[in-house]
Amino acid sequence: MQNAARPRNKIEVCNLTKRFGELLVLNDISFSVAEGEFVAIVGPTGCGKTTFLNTLSCLLPASSGQILIDGTPANPKRHNISYVFQEPTCLPWRTVRENVAYGMEVKGRPRKEIDERLDHILDMVGLTQCANLYPNQISASMQQRIAVSRAFAVDPDLLLMDEPYGQLDVKLRFYLEDELVNLWRKLKSTVLFITHNIEEAVYVSERILVLSNKPTRIKAEVKVDLPRPRDFMDPEFVRIREHVTDLIRWW
Amino acid sequence: MTAYREVVVRTPLALKILPIVSVATFFIAWEIVVRTGVVPDTMLAAPTTVTQLLFDKFTNMDPDGALLHQHAWVSIQEAFGGYFLALAVGLPLGLAMGWFNVAEGLARPIFEIIRPIPPVAWIPLTIFWFGIGLPGKIFIIWLGGLVPCVINAYVGVKMTNPTLIQMARTYGASDWQIFRQLCIPSALPMVFGALQIALACCWTNLVAAELLAADAGLGFMITMGRRLAMPEMVVLGMFMVGLTGAFIGVIIDRVEKRLLAGIRR
Ligand SMILES: Nc1ncnc2c1ncn2[C@@H]1O[C@H](COP(=O)(O)OP(=O)(O)OP(=O)(O)O)[C@@H](O)[C@H]1O
Ligand SMILES: [Mg+2]
Repeated sequence: MQNAARPRNKIEVCNLTKRFGELLVLNDISFSVAEGEFVAIVGPTGCGKTTFLNTLSCLLPASSGQILIDGTPANPKRHNISYVFQEPTCLPWRTVRENVAYGMEVKGRPRKEIDERLDHILDMVGLTQCANLYPNQISASMQQRIAVSRAFAVDPDLLLMDEPYGQLDVKLRFYLEDELVNLWRKLKSTVLFITHNIEEAVYVSERILVLSNKPTRIKAEVKVDLPRPRDFMDPEFVRIREHVTDLIRWW
Repeated sequence: MTAYREVVVRTPLALKILPIVSVATFFIAWEIVVRTGVVPDTMLAAPTTVTQLLFDKFTNMDPDGALLHQHAWVSIQEAFGGYFLALAVGLPLGLAMGWFNVAEGLARPIFEIIRPIPPVAWIPLTIFWFGIGLPGKIFIIWLGGLVPCVINAYVGVKMTNPTLIQMARTYGASDWQIFRQLCIPSALPMVFGALQIALACCWTNLVAAELLAADAGLGFMITMGRRLAMPEMVVLGMFMVGLTGAFIGVIIDRVEKRLLAGIRR
């Protein structure tokens, strides 16, 4: 399902298959993501969502199939990939600011550019006051925000997010989802967002991929063409949410 | 932000007084046992005799050929020489073995062969190679300190959180970048632990080396005490070994705290 206004595919996944020994986890998955698109992926527990992101980011080799970014095979050294993991990944010996800078430092950006971008991003996510604190001095939700900021800071071609807000309470979740959407709109990254939460998927994404049980395929694709900011009470929102829920009921 | 509350722990009275009582009783009982001849003074010296010798040894070279602080100074030099060499070689080696397969593949087997041989067993060979001077003892001490340095640094690197490594990889970090930016900082607490453990190993091996092959140093003083049948000199030597070891331990502890505070709070 391609939007006419979007000329080219950023990411193409062709016949991606992943086995762990005899266990077939990803079964011949193909799809594409347009540049600047925000795609959510929902699927049952253990269906291989994390495995899927790990193969996309080349942390795991695919058993067969191909992942192309801008037409060339995905490679973390060449492409700008960011990955926000399910668990927190702050470096305990770096301050908040230094943590957010980490991705840019790895990529060898000039110091001046790093500092400018840090000021901008920390300001955008409201972390400026605690920029000089260490991760053990801030709460778990803030640590996840650091990971998200770090991911956006490198201006990624592809941003992978694995249930980043899984452990948080509802109110903070809404807040961070808004923050995420804001970052995405301002920085124009391409995002793949994994979640268990259907409401969250409908709220943040432009398109939802529904995965099946193992061996996993893409069971359905749902387009979410709603204006932002979105309203949970909007009948159209509710209709889409229920539609996805129905698809999932057959898990 | 979490507010941390200081927890005030008061030392109970019993823990303040009883240590003094127990130490005093220990020394008094020792004195009495020797003075009354329950233990003959050819086997053990009374604390007062040892104290006398202690003051005497600051000015009197006889019968072992050096003043007390000269012995201590020789020992300290040897210990620190071997210790710092052990740190300089062991820590980088252990860190590299923890991350780089080439380093682990090459160094691990040799390390595993050498590790179970107590450094003291090397003494005869080192006497062939270096005689009984400073270099031989530094070699023995170095061997003793090397093992904990390598093991701690190695384990420290292996304990690096794998998710952090994955995170760095997705940003395209090279092996070297991951080693420098993630593995070394993660290993630091273990490395600091090695500072103390290695020191203890060095000090033990130093005394053993001096007992067997030396012409000065605290261990040598103990051996001389035995040869001259002077239990008070043996006890004084033992006491000085303990005191100097504890003193160096305190210094290292200070340095360690300073370093740790600089790295994280
Ligand atoms: N390294 C591995 N070796 C063998 N099997 C694995 C490995 N990693 C994952 N699996 C299996 O692959 C399947 C998918 O795991 P994965 O972690 O991708 O699930 P998930 O969809 O992310 O689950 P969750 O929603 O709980 O995060 C599971 O059945 C798991 O047991
Ligand atoms: Mg998962």
